[in-house]
Amino acid sequence: MYPDGTRALSDFNLHIADGEFMVFVGPSGCGKTTALRMVAGLEEITEGEIRIGDELINTVEPRQRDVAMVFQNYALYPHMSVFENIAFPLRARRLSRSEIERRVVHTASLLGLEDLLKRRPRALSGGQRQRVAMGRAIVREPQVFLMDEPLSNLDAKLRVQMRAEITRLQRRLGVTTIYVTHDQVEALTMGDRIVVMRKGVLQQVGPPQELFDRPANLFVASFIGSPVMNMLRATIRSVANGRSFVCCIGDQELALPESFADERPEIRSWIDRDLVVGIRPEHMVDAALDADRHPRLRARAVLVQALGSERLVHFEMPGHPVLTDEVLEVARDADASIAETLEREAKGGTTVSLIARYDTRSSIAVDENAEIAVPAQHLHFFDLGTGAVTAAPESNGRVVVQEAAAASSR
Amino acid sequence: MGVFRYTRQSFVREVLFIAIALAFCVPWYILLTLSLKTNTQVYFSPLSLPTKGYFRNYSIAWNQSGLGGSMLNSFIITVASVAGLIVVGSLGGYAIARRESKLASGLYFLFVLGIILPFQLAILPTFFIFRHLHLTGGLLGMILLHIGLTTPLSVFLYTGFVRALPREYEEAAQVDGAGFLRTYLRVVFPLLSPVTGTVAVLSSVVIWNDFFVSLIFLFGSTTQTLPLALYSFVSEDVSQYNLIMAAVAITIVPILAFYIFAQRQLIRGFAGGIRG
Repeated sequence: MYPDGTRALSDFNLHIADGEFMVFVGPSGCGKTTALRMVAGLEEITEGEIRIGDELINTVEPRQRDVAMVFQNYALYPHMSVFENIAFPLRARRLSRSEIERRVVHTASLLGLEDLLKRRPRALSGGQRQRVAMGRAIVREPQVFLMDEPLSNLDAKLRVQMRAEITRLQRRLGVTTIYVTHDQVEALTMGDRIVVMRKGVLQQVGPPQELFDRPANLFVASFIGSPVMNMLRATIRSVANGRSFVCCIGDQELALPESFADERPEIRSWIDRDLVVGIRPEHMVDAALDADRHPRLRARAVLVQALGSERLVHFEMPGHPVLTDEVLEVARDADASIAETLEREAKGGTTVSLIARYDTRSSIAVDENAEIAVPAQHLHFFDLGTGAVTAAPESNGRVVVQEAAAASSR
Repeated sequence: MGVFRYTRQSFVREVLFIAIALAFCVPWYILLTLSLKTNTQVYFSPLSLPTKGYFRNYSIAWNQSGLGGSMLNSFIITVASVAGLIVVGSLGGYAIARRESKLASGLYFLFVLGIILPFQLAILPTFFIFRHLHLTGGLLGMILLHIGLTTPLSVFLYTGFVRALPREYEEAAQVDGAGFLRTYLRVVFPLLSPVTGTVAVLSSVVIWNDFFVSLIFLFGSTTQTLPLALYSFVSEDVSQYNLIMAAVAITIVPILAFYIFAQRQLIRGFAGGIRG
């Protein structure tokens, strides 16, 4: 809790299994780092309990918690050599000289740092420093690793490489890990489970696939996935004496198949409520290539980005954009200008933008009026007022996270 | 900025700088030339270059003034005071910078006050207390006194430096299992080395050259520091300026050597910051 009474974290209940790779993700200021520092003992806890194993550690000094931490800027001791940096936690534990030597050399070989042991941190590249910071953490064989955005100071290419390296290392060592990041791609690719946080409140916990397929609310839906899930204002109306339903978006009606009501009987309670319908870009199909006769939306293509393996098509269509706090917060975290565009659009209020991730066979050109096929089973419905999910679609497929797309949407 | 070009402007600037530098050299010139002349030359051609170096002036000055013993005293006082000062100042500055309590900011204010207020205001009570404790006229008293007098400035410098120092180093050390002492000795203190250099250079120059405090607190004792020895030498040989200048030159050499040696540290400390 901060001195002014704001809570940095509230109602945060989480059980992390032994050996699990848990990722805390959320926009800046969501409390993920605070949560991590609480586990490390660097931040005081005003209420609640933290346990490692069976031991309550609320009041245990950081140095007795048997956790190791990798800091965002690595915090390597600048006046010590790489060897001394890695040896520091062992010296603090008063291990024998030969034991220290043995373990430091072993750790260094694990990370490919053998030739750098005599160097000072200043003489290392970013990636090497990152590895030394990792070495200082793993040399102790602690119960828990805590990592606070350890890759955020590396360039994009190195980040991808280190991401894989850290994951591999963690699997190999089998040490329970809490990893904090604001990058959802990092979270999806690395975590066994992911905790999505916002303003100190836990939004959803689950494996990457579950978060992607069944986001619990608008915030998680807009935070996870890249490009971001398309969000549209919608209402549900029943037709044909309540046997089938249509989803009204702007002036268009998306006919939901009859099976939809069987799969999600709760649809009857949604009728005439203000809803948000979410469609992931990867679930949209170019109607020209759609063999399954999915429901369709009509929209005008305004931009086509060919990325080699896929095409990102930006559409505009009449409708009401969704501008909830959640969506704005996610947008602002990615790029302030995106948030501004969203706000401007919302003021006009008559057109919405959509992004579709199409197959390269799609031949849609800019300014073309096209039809987009939208598989109903992939629609997400949220309550506009609360942002909570009204009913989640079934899980299927796997998460496809692609660097190129992530880079272009940011 | 393009390639540097030597223009008329840079020429004028250079001449100006050289002139200023020369002005600073004048006292040195007088000091050194006088110290190498005979007493007659001092009176008849004070500003000319010495025709022949009378290095005997130095040995005479050394023998007559008793500079040897007082130089040892000055050395002990300076080294011990600076060492004590660094311990007190760095710990004090570290604690004040890292504690968020009202007490810490109150203490900081008091130390700043200590810089602003002239210490001469307190010299009489301090003198009586020291005499009562039998600390006047000895090395220990001088060391304690100098530590006390220079602590405010060094706490001020250390506090500013620690405030700019990222906490992560200490947090990393804590999580790595180091207690307060190990964190301070192995991590924090080495990181403070730039400001330690500044404190050491500044305070050692002040302490080495101190005349007023030594004069009062060592008055009447056989313990003398260099400035005091010089003072009594001047009173005895007031007319022998060649010898006086030689003695002055001797007293300057050690501290000047240290200053030149530590100059880099001084500038680094003022520039501040830690890279790594």
